[in-house]
Amino acid sequence: MAADPYEVLGVKKDASQSDLQKAYRALAKKLHPDLNPGNKQAEERFKEVAGAYDLLGDEKKRARFDSGEIDASGAERPQQRQYYRDFADAGSQYSSDAGFADFADDDILSQIFRGRGRGAVNMRGQDRHYRLELEFLDAINGATQHITLPDGASLDVRIPAGTRDGQTLRLRGKGAAGIGEGPPGDALVEVTVRPHRLFSRDGDNIRVELPISLSEAVLGGKVTVPTPTGSVAMTVPKWSNTGAVLRLKGKGVARTDGGHGDELVTLKIVLPEKPDPELESFIAKWGGGGAYNPRQAMEA
Amino acid sequence: MEAEKFVVHARIDIQTLETWVEAGWLVPGRVEGSVHYSEVDLARAHLINDLAGLGVNEAGVPIVLDLVDQLHGLRRVLRHALAAARSGQAGEG
Repeated sequence: MAADPYEVLGVKKDASQSDLQKAYRALAKKLHPDLNPGNKQAEERFKEVAGAYDLLGDEKKRARFDSGEIDASGAERPQQRQYYRDFADAGSQYSSDAGFADFADDDILSQIFRGRGRGAVNMRGQDRHYRLELEFLDAINGATQHITLPDGASLDVRIPAGTRDGQTLRLRGKGAAGIGEGPPGDALVEVTVRPHRLFSRDGDNIRVELPISLSEAVLGGKVTVPTPTGSVAMTVPKWSNTGAVLRLKGKGVARTDGGHGDELVTLKIVLPEKPDPELESFIAKWGGGGAYNPRQAMEA
Repeated sequence: MEAEKFVVHARIDIQTLETWVEAGWLVPGRVEGSVHYSEVDLARAHLINDLAGLGVNEAGVPIVLDLVDQLHGLRRVLRHALAAARSGQAGEG
């Protein structure tokens, strides 16, 4: 036995036809499956409401129902039908992207839009993020490192020469697999560079502090200087002070344009570890030693 | 299905169908050169009928259809975005 159509529409038995229509429209607006695609319960309720209005909305049928000639279940039922929303996911000639076309530049959504054909979904795979700690010289000179992934697979990461601390390397296609025919995502490797015992990096230049002896500082001479690519010979000019900076051209970090930065060598005069009586007596006899005041500039 | 069968299922007359197609409310496809109505077209025709029953007038119908199509498109994208987010989580977790 079907429910009382008057109750379904929420009207009294003596309601006018226009009251019936008003009640039907108010309910149908809330319950129509196509106007409420997210409401799964709507379809059953809407069927009831539509059936009730089918009966009562027609004055002749309503009169026959009121007089008991036909009951609610004997009324003509709306035929089984598929709602428009049932086709929404498959996509059709009516599919519209106007509701989100302005998001098309968004990374995530653009993948979805690209895959938005009829039916099939193709999406680019997710990017995967990894961290890698590098030795200073590997970052400067370039190297190949192996990362072991959580699933046991390993990944070869080519470190380009001149990689900086904090830089992120993108390995195309090494991320998660794509959905459908979508391409795989990328692996994004964030690099941390360990500090070096001797070298530090200053943009494209390498800085190193080079201890020199007192006699090298005073008389000048050839010294051996470490660089990231091996040791080179360098001439210290005579009368070089602590803090003086000498430049080794092209011994710095590889640049993307193919050139190289320089190595900047900061001199530091170092006295012998053990006191040298000969040097002490020489300095004591050195007349000019007391006359020179290097702190002159500091005085007010 | 052909137009004759379509109007019976959609409970409309052939003139109404022609008007709807002309207005662009229905966009039937073509199979081997002749006009072909699909299940989607039928469901859309039912919706248009219901809209008329709800008191939506001729000017209102295309507005409602357009918004319904946009809503469906958004729901589709949302569902895919959620699926992608979920598969991403599963992969990293």
